[in-house]
Amino acid sequence: MRVAIDTGGTFTDLVVEVASGQYRMFKASTTPEDPIEGILNALRLAAREHEKSLEVFLGGVTQFIYGTTHPINAVLTGNVAKTAFFTTEGHPDVLTLREGGRPDAFDFSRASPKPYIPRALTWEVPGRIAASGSELAPLDAASVVRSIESAVERGVEAVAVCLLWSIINPAHELQVGELLKKHAPNLPFTLSHQLNPALREYRRASSAAINASLQPMMTRFLQSLETKLRAAGLGGRLDVITSQGGLVDAREAQSTPIHLLNSGPSMAPVAGRFFTSEVGASATAIVADTGGTTYDVSLVSDNTIPWTREMWVGEPYYGHMTGFPSIDVKSIGAGGGSIAWVDDGGMLRIGPQSAGSRPGPVCYSRGGTQPTVTDAAVVLGYVDAQFFLGGTMKLDLHAARLAMQRYVADPLGISVNDAAYAVLEVATENMAQAIEDLTVNQGIDPRKCQLIGGGGAAGLNSVAIAQRLKCPTLLIPQFGAAMSATGALLSNLSAFFQTTRFQSVRGFQSDVVSAVLHELTSKAMAFASANGATREQSTLSYSVEARYADQIWEIPLPFRPDNAGHVSADSLAQSFHREHTRIFGYEDAGSDIEFITWSVKVDCATYAQPKGRSFATYLDPVKPSSRSIYFRDVGEVVAPVYLFEALTGEEHIVGPAIVESSFTSIVINPHATARRDKAGSLEITIDNSAGEKA
Amino acid sequence: MSAGDANRMDGVRLAVLAQRLQGIAKKMANTLLRSGRSGVLNIARDFSCCIVTSDHELVAAADSLPIHVLSGPDLMAAHMKATHPNLKPGDAFLHNSPYHGCSHPADHTILVPVLDGIGKHRFTVVAKAHQADCGNSVPTTYMGNARDVYEEGALIFPSVKVQSNYEHIHDVLRMCQLRIRVPEQWWGDYQAMLGAARIGERELVSLGEEIGWEALDSFASAFLDYSEQRARSEMRKLKKGTAVVTTVHDAIFPVMPKDGLPITAKVTTDPESATIEVDLTDNADCLPFGLNLSESCARTAAMIGVFNSLEASVPKNAGAFRRITVKLRENCVVGIPQHPTSCSVATTNLADRVASAVQMAMAEIDGTRGLAECGAPQAPSMAVVSGKHSTSGKPFVNQLFLGFSGGAAGAAADAWETICHVGNAGMSFLDSIELDELRQPILVKSRAFVLDSEGPGRHTGARSLEVEFGPLGTELEVAYVNDGNVNAARGVLGGSSGYLSNQLIRRADGSTEPAPQVGPILLQAGESVISFTAGGGGYGPAHDRPAADVAADVASGILSGERAAKVYRVATTGVGALDIAKTEALRIATK
Repeated sequence: MRVAIDTGGTFTDLVVEVASGQYRMFKASTTPEDPIEGILNALRLAAREHEKSLEVFLGGVTQFIYGTTHPINAVLTGNVAKTAFFTTEGHPDVLTLREGGRPDAFDFSRASPKPYIPRALTWEVPGRIAASGSELAPLDAASVVRSIESAVERGVEAVAVCLLWSIINPAHELQVGELLKKHAPNLPFTLSHQLNPALREYRRASSAAINASLQPMMTRFLQSLETKLRAAGLGGRLDVITSQGGLVDAREAQSTPIHLLNSGPSMAPVAGRFFTSEVGASATAIVADTGGTTYDVSLVSDNTIPWTREMWVGEPYYGHMTGFPSIDVKSIGAGGGSIAWVDDGGMLRIGPQSAGSRPGPVCYSRGGTQPTVTDAAVVLGYVDAQFFLGGTMKLDLHAARLAMQRYVADPLGISVNDAAYAVLEVATENMAQAIEDLTVNQGIDPRKCQLIGGGGAAGLNSVAIAQRLKCPTLLIPQFGAAMSATGALLSNLSAFFQTTRFQSVRGFQSDVVSAVLHELTSKAMAFASANGATREQSTLSYSVEARYADQIWEIPLPFRPDNAGHVSADSLAQSFHREHTRIFGYEDAGSDIEFITWSVKVDCATYAQPKGRSFATYLDPVKPSSRSIYFRDVGEVVAPVYLFEALTGEEHIVGPAIVESSFTSIVINPHATARRDKAGSLEITIDNSAGEKA
Repeated sequence: MSAGDANRMDGVRLAVLAQRLQGIAKKMANTLLRSGRSGVLNIARDFSCCIVTSDHELVAAADSLPIHVLSGPDLMAAHMKATHPNLKPGDAFLHNSPYHGCSHPADHTILVPVLDGIGKHRFTVVAKAHQADCGNSVPTTYMGNARDVYEEGALIFPSVKVQSNYEHIHDVLRMCQLRIRVPEQWWGDYQAMLGAARIGERELVSLGEEIGWEALDSFASAFLDYSEQRARSEMRKLKKGTAVVTTVHDAIFPVMPKDGLPITAKVTTDPESATIEVDLTDNADCLPFGLNLSESCARTAAMIGVFNSLEASVPKNAGAFRRITVKLRENCVVGIPQHPTSCSVATTNLADRVASAVQMAMAEIDGTRGLAECGAPQAPSMAVVSGKHSTSGKPFVNQLFLGFSGGAAGAAADAWETICHVGNAGMSFLDSIELDELRQPILVKSRAFVLDSEGPGRHTGARSLEVEFGPLGTELEVAYVNDGNVNAARGVLGGSSGYLSNQLIRRADGSTEPAPQVGPILLQAGESVISFTAGGGGYGPAHDRPAADVAADVASGILSGERAAKVYRVATTGVGALDIAKTEALRIATK
């Protein structure tokens, strides 16, 4: 038996793989002061369900997978180790200057962001390597030793080292590492070329700085997690989820905690890929995860999940770049808690302010006064005020209506129902824009995509989003409310290796490229065998960052070496032209093409991917009930309400209708139909010929 | 549906359609940025993408440089229509005439008319990008010493048709390829611009067909009304007043007055009528040099100063512009130039001085608004460098974006330090040292902010960035024009001036000597140039800066304890802990 845990801000989700392709979901409250307690609570729920003691239950677990938002929150709140930055002499402001750029040209209410590590904790290292890798000035070891002593005196708890051109010649960084080991043996440190051998010193420095700052805390935490789980009876392996959507051994993760930053959101597209492949209808799926405060969007294209090199912790330009490729997840501040208001030009706006979980929407009766997206859903009847979270929480419909009246309906001069409908409409548009932002970057047309809706609030307007984007189908997985944990159970152990080696089509050195590929392949296979994967179980995906000569931005170009491990300039060139046309609409056949960073990702399929899925109905079929809901074009209608778990797959549901479970409520708008598919997901078909007009 | 009904739905439809239109402009910008070639386009982000109505009113722009886009697209679209009254689907026009709405000749612009199913002109989409070269008589796109457009030498395209029925008109393109240096780079950027414009066209057509063209038209007009209303509300909150601010551009060319060229802006705010007027007429006549502003840049620079002083979310489009009057006069150095006046450098130097003067005047009128002066561009760390690779002998030429700062302190916050210049607004990316050392044989010895170089004030202006670089094993020509050696960025409301820009040469023996304010200079192997950017001015008196902020600056290592005590009257101990008692004593003594 395998289990996956995702510790979120509010809930700790647990998904148990009962049998291949069959899952059960449990939720316990997150316990911020000691997150391990929340994990054990969720496990106790599952053990009870299986009528076993915790010890016996955990004893039967062969693989325990863990994902968490803990490290990203630590970085966002600055609650990390006091970290020193060792940089090449003359370049103390790498972390301050970053790569320039600014989000809003006219916003002078915010100053430049502060560096991740201040100048006062920055030490310059004399010595210089050139772009060619030759040594222009030797490393001054005596000066480095003095810097180490000074850093120790300042009470630093970790050290990040990033020297110019260490990716071409790492000698100086390695020497600094040796000196740190000798003169400060207890101080954890990160060498940039070992962590992230990529071009562009800011990205590498930022990787090293973030990683070093997380090392002390995450080492302690992961050790404690393992000790407590072992004590509670865990016999199987313990793996953690990475930002790249794979798994690594928890002990390995202790030295590279930066890979856990996007640990939760990275799993949603993995789950999405699983559900979409069952349908197989469209080559590309858009995976959207609606939470209380954020809306996360990612893609699955041709069964692969696109990556970005530009992952920020916090807002772009204000936050910090991780410098690592990550699953490309676009996140906007729009969720059930986003507040609706009318500005002084008379335009309805949603967010960016959020009521969060405290005070929360007005209808929660926890002190919230301004209407939110959730309040709009309650007003419209989309969420049953009496049956929220399976009836465990009663919602105040009257208060939600009053707030909607005061803050939206009156200023716009429309009815409360129209106001609530408009709130969802604008939220829908904001979310659709987030999807378009992402698809545009990848050159993907949403009209040819399937939309997959996950997260507790996904059901409110996912059909509307699909209609707006003209997606032909929408899928709401049964375990959509615990999308990340489900994804984790479908993930492989994986690792990512990269090397920077400049090449161009016109000056292509086949032997150099073959040597690079050979080295990457060896590293990938070494990882696979260390984790018990056979050659047959290991999939290697190669990619190179490429661009036309003189372009600044590379695009990732997947390729497949031949059986002897070679790749030709010609085949790379052809696929680059194709890829450029796909994304930007034209190719430049006359131009040279440059290749920068070569990488391989290895996936080890050490467990059997479920073949064909089935789902169990936990309840006997029940007749749908009904309640009154509102759409602007059809007005108030009495719509059937189906119980998600009780659907057999035979029902043909025609919108307007509601499909409800204790975790979520799914609105089937007019011009849409739904049925439960073989995997247990709700598949909704959009009739785009009759879509609503904006 | 009553009239009231129509208005009621507007608040909702507006929100939805405003997002859609903004999304289209964003798609255009993304295409241009990601697929463009020259550094000035994809690093300095010296480009813009926008949508203009059939009445030539700017509705939406995205991710664009301010100096490019506020006024200009409207003028160019009108010129296109006037010269080509029978627009057809598949048409595209090249435009760069500073006498007909373009910013300056290096900013090549593609205009594509968007027509509905029955051939009616509905919108014009505009993609504009600064080119690496535009065919000037010397290899620079900023020809400050050009006496007129003939000496400048740029090819001028006043709305010249370059595509018909979606096919290239090769006659024109062949001319460009023979006249423009690095033609492959130009061709790459040209295709990127055309691609961006065609994406905008495709998306607008699909939106028009989806919701109906009449509905889209009425949305556009409602959105402009909404934007005007937002601007009106903001302007009602301003204090009433008039301020005249003069700032001085260094005398870098012989035709300029020897004490520098003063630039004066008179700004009047009127909260009752909710209007702002900027008067630039009290300035010198056009001079025989390349720094004269085009009409587009003069209007835009004035509006940048205004918008920098308003709440950031007011839409920047023709609706909001209705509340702003910019008074210009013909044949004025910051007004409306006449052919053949050269406007080669219209987007930076004098435009920056205009924008700064306006935002300082806004601060003087209303002490909760505006900004100090931004540092002047552009230090040698932004130079165009050229030479030959020592091994291959292959020539190279490229603009560096190795270092810029200059951000002005504002009413609400310290500076955004890497503003680059007012008209860029910090949008520019900064070169990676590794990327620059890879592309050309140079070594960047250092890049660091100068300690204690901030523009003192309650809010501080940007520090000066010192960058030292030189050739590696070859010789290197470094071309630059570094304003701000003499006239520092001024502080406002008691804030102090920013750091002066400067430039030095370090010889092979390590000795340094001053370098000229205007390049090019030639460096031999082993030599380097040391470049200092102009810092930004401070806002409000330095001794009003919260003591905790000053102590934090000391603790983080960007301000010395001595300067904290002397300039800010704040006493700190050892590693920057605040000494409250001593600080109180120091500050009482100041008052």
